Amino acid sequence: MTPKWIELVTGSLEQKKQYRQYKARIDALPEPYGTAAKALQRYLMYAGGIVLDGETALKMFGDVADLWERAVADGTPIRVIVGDDPVEFADALAQAYTGKHWIDKERARLTDAITRAEEQDAGGGAAAGSGAADDDPRRRGGEARAGDDTGAGDGSGAP
Amino acid sequence: MGKQMTEMLKGVLEGIVLAALSRRPAYGYEITSWLRDLGFTDIAEGTIYALLIRVEQRGLVDVQKVASEKGPPRKVYSLNALGRTNLDEFWGTWSFLVERLEQLHEGGTER
Repeated sequence: MTPKWIELVTGSLEQKKQYRQYKARIDALPEPYGTAAKALQRYLMYAGGIVLDGETALKMFGDVADLWERAVADGTPIRVIVGDDPVEFADALAQAYTGKHWIDKERARLTDAITRAEEQDAGGGAAAGSGAADDDPRRRGGEARAGDDTGAGDGSGAP
Repeated sequence: MGKQMTEMLKGVLEGIVLAALSRRPAYGYEITSWLRDLGFTDIAEGTIYALLIRVEQRGLVDVQKVASEKGPPRKVYSLNALGRTNLDEFWGTWSFLVERLEQLHEGGTER
């Protein structure tokens, strides 16, 4: 929650202003919600599949503040909000945003490496693999997509 | 609810929520209460909240902020055209799974 962090991920003054407003909302939460909200915030920023681009991060912070303010207004117990496993909840929340995540680059790298390895194999064993050549590109496309989906789910717990 | 139930629900919860929204627009708490009434008592509100954000981010629902008597405005979610298409696909996949699993369950081998 350091100022350095927000300077790193957000560009504009407007975004900084929004971040300060969000911070004020979290700080204004009564206990025990304040403690829970700050712990969730810490996890989302340091560990949980962190959202990189400033706009998405601010959207997430705003949604989180809404969630806690709603809980305070309704008197919903913290455990009912976060469930039995707070980590699972935090990961699901972070993964819900379609903005860029820090792990994206590594996911792309893995996907590309596998594709290249597959092409290498197809090139080397041309005669043996000729029968499967027809449906090869289609299958490869399908696998790449499936790989992305799986990665999004698995990556949440990775850090 | 057991661990197995929790794991299985992960795969279908989005479909369940979209199906709920296809009946009428709702806010998060209404959906959670509705699920509790159906017997899914252990689903955390936060889980539904995260799921609603996910479908919002993917453009399957429209969101309208409605002023509330106390606390921040409530976000009311409604299924849009893309969401309906997605829900149709969900039911298609669901029917396929149920059919195949029933075959397994009854020990039938016919295809």
